[in-house]
Amino acid sequence: MKLFAPSPGHINSLKELLTENDKIYSIFMAGSPDYIGTGRSNLASPELEEIAEQVEYAHKKGVKVEMVLNSSCMGGRQLTPEGYRTNHWYIEKLVDLGADSIVAADPYLIEIMARDFDVEVVTSVLAFVDSPQKAEFFENLGTDSIVIDSNVNRHFDVLEAIRDSVDCELRLLVNEGCLYRCPFRYAHFNFFSHAFGPEPRPNVLDDYYYYKCLELRIVNPELIIKSPFIRPEDLKQYKEITDVFKIGGRTHFVDWILNCVNAYHNESYDGNLMDLLDCPKDLKDLFYIPNKSLDGVLEQQWMNCKKVCKQCGYCQKLTKKVTQVYEKGGTEFETLKPWENYTVKT
Amino acid sequence: MGKLHGENMSTAELLKNRSEFEEKLRKLLARPVLLTELDMFALPCGCSGITANIRGLEVDDLDVFEAQILPILKEMAEALDVKPSVTFARLVPGSSIVASVNWRTLCNRCYPEFAKGQGKTPRPDLYLLQFDKRK
Repeated sequence: MKLFAPSPGHINSLKELLTENDKIYSIFMAGSPDYIGTGRSNLASPELEEIAEQVEYAHKKGVKVEMVLNSSCMGGRQLTPEGYRTNHWYIEKLVDLGADSIVAADPYLIEIMARDFDVEVVTSVLAFVDSPQKAEFFENLGTDSIVIDSNVNRHFDVLEAIRDSVDCELRLLVNEGCLYRCPFRYAHFNFFSHAFGPEPRPNVLDDYYYYKCLELRIVNPELIIKSPFIRPEDLKQYKEITDVFKIGGRTHFVDWILNCVNAYHNESYDGNLMDLLDCPKDLKDLFYIPNKSLDGVLEQQWMNCKKVCKQCGYCQKLTKKVTQVYEKGGTEFETLKPWENYTVKT
Repeated sequence: MGKLHGENMSTAELLKNRSEFEEKLRKLLARPVLLTELDMFALPCGCSGITANIRGLEVDDLDVFEAQILPILKEMAEALDVKPSVTFARLVPGSSIVASVNWRTLCNRCYPEFAKGQGKTPRPDLYLLQFDKRK
């Protein structure tokens, strides 16, 4: 198994992370937002010298380094002569300092990198490859690897069709934890791309998409259960599709990342499912969903699910059965109560 | 640390109040809202108070349950020894989302900004729950 682990972006966290280097095939991290941003929030914005230091350290530990340049929106700047020169210059620097692979979401950037640079080109999960046709398109552009849209993580017919249509490497993002078929997906990633991309950056006080996502799940935690995460125990079901898995979460503490690395490396986790999900991290203090209580659910239900929730009701029943809520959190009287105790709007 | 009911206020008191406020809202709304952070603040202008960042609370809840929520807000302020001149919810403008509830003892510079406002939402991101007009 090849495991890609997130790195927050500075050397100290990398050193801590790579204490478990034998379990990690590659780390991935963002670079400086001054050139090309990323589709997610970042804790660090390492300059080229800092990236070089981290690449050198990771390589000494036998771990590859992947740079993430996966803005879902670059505002058209990439198509201007100045944008083209800047992007080209930046990618060249990343390749020169030894980055092993570069992730992009924009087809234009993918084609440029595949044509002009000697680096492994990866199509981001934010290119939303959810069909064999899209996978073929990106393979023809020159991508070496595709991170499949996590929305189809439980659509085995689609995963098999993608596998049968391309020869490039396929990767699955295991713990994103976003809403299934999230209606905020494009708008949210476009917002992040600008907020964590080159100037001018929007001065946003509140992230509507995130707050709304939390609100929806607080009202109805079934939306957590239906999120297309892949549990560590379920990796074995994907071995016919790929053995390359990516753990999301570069805005978390290294301790959190290592907990995920160990869980996915061991293909087992005995704890709260919420501990493993990158998003929505705030809700791990609200819900307790025993990860082991979902043993067998993928094989019994989700692998063959038609996704007509209104007619099915399986996840609704499962949510009532397994979801617990923290009460009196943060005090000596903290307890867990069944979520069923609450009258909820569904 | 400041004083709370004659005792030294501790973070344990804040934790207790966070939990109790959350529990009261949950009982009222019958769903597990999450109080993600409870802060006491002091601003350079002279304002001070409490902020409760809440997820899962909506503008409609304030509208429908205002009469029931107001006593809970008052209890919270008293528990932390804050005498707010204004209590308001901060909204994500144009949406149903309540980002936070704020109890604020206004300074002389900030008071006019609130006093001149009209209605429940003097600004698109504010929903007034209580305001003591000075005589």
